[in-house]
Amino acid sequence: MIFVTGPLFAGKKEYIRTALGLTDEEFAACAVWDVQELAGAADLSALADRLSQNRVVIATELGGGVIPTDAAERAHREAAGRLACLLAERADTVIRVCCGLPQVLKGSLSC
Amino acid sequence: MFTLVIGGAASGKSAWAETRACSLPGQRIYLATMQPYGEESRARIEKHRAQRAGKGFVTLERYTDLAGSAVPTDSSVLLEDLANLLANETFSRDGGGSDAALRGVESLRERCAHLTVVTNELFSGGASYEGETLLYLRELARLNRLLAARADCVVELVCGLPNVLKGEVT
Repeated sequence: MIFVTGPLFAGKKEYIRTALGLTDEEFAACAVWDVQELAGAADLSALADRLSQNRVVIATELGGGVIPTDAAERAHREAAGRLACLLAERADTVIRVCCGLPQVLKGSLSC
Repeated sequence: MFTLVIGGAASGKSAWAETRACSLPGQRIYLATMQPYGEESRARIEKHRAQRAGKGFVTLERYTDLAGSAVPTDSSVLLEDLANLLANETFSRDGGGSDAALRGVESLRERCAHLTVVTNELFSGGASYEGETLLYLRELARLNRLLAARADCVVELVCGLPNVLKGEVT
């Protein structure tokens, strides 16, 4: 599994779709994105296991701003960060995309 | 040489970009985009002035329409910063929208010898923003990606240290 992370609107999907040479349809069939939105799940490990069945998993980084005053938002942001760590653990390759540019944090894209 | 420098608040991007612009040949031009509204922005402008004092920059203040600015052809221009420029072009009465911001940067790049652009990392704190702010963020991200694709060198500043995303930094 390839885990792609990075800031909002950084071009994560477009980068990895192009790098793998996939059409939009092929990409949609083997990738999931915005998985940070799923972090409300009770069992994050089970969620990470399930998501890892996909070839590509994409999450947007949320943890860079001020701690939210709203408790629910705070909990969500925390869970999203934890989920990203669990996905990175399970991934063969981890890539961070910033301004459309990739940086390999784990493994390599050839695997 | 076209260099894009990105970083969060107080990540050291300005100081790094100044050193970068100074390392390139040609007359040093500092293109300042921040409009001096209120005490805080005036203080910020003063801080930046003090930081680059003695480095040989000629300061030009230009808030919109960079395409209309006069820069010498042999110059090394430091544009600070893209987020401000986009806000001016988007929200000022005399602004021309985000395309004008992009056009301005492209025009500068064609006219000077070396361009260093400072931009902001505003995208790691979630997406719970109101309509106008979200649109602004989306546009800034689009400009960042476009300029990063065209740049010779892209550097992300972390704690004052350069993380090179593209090209080489000597």
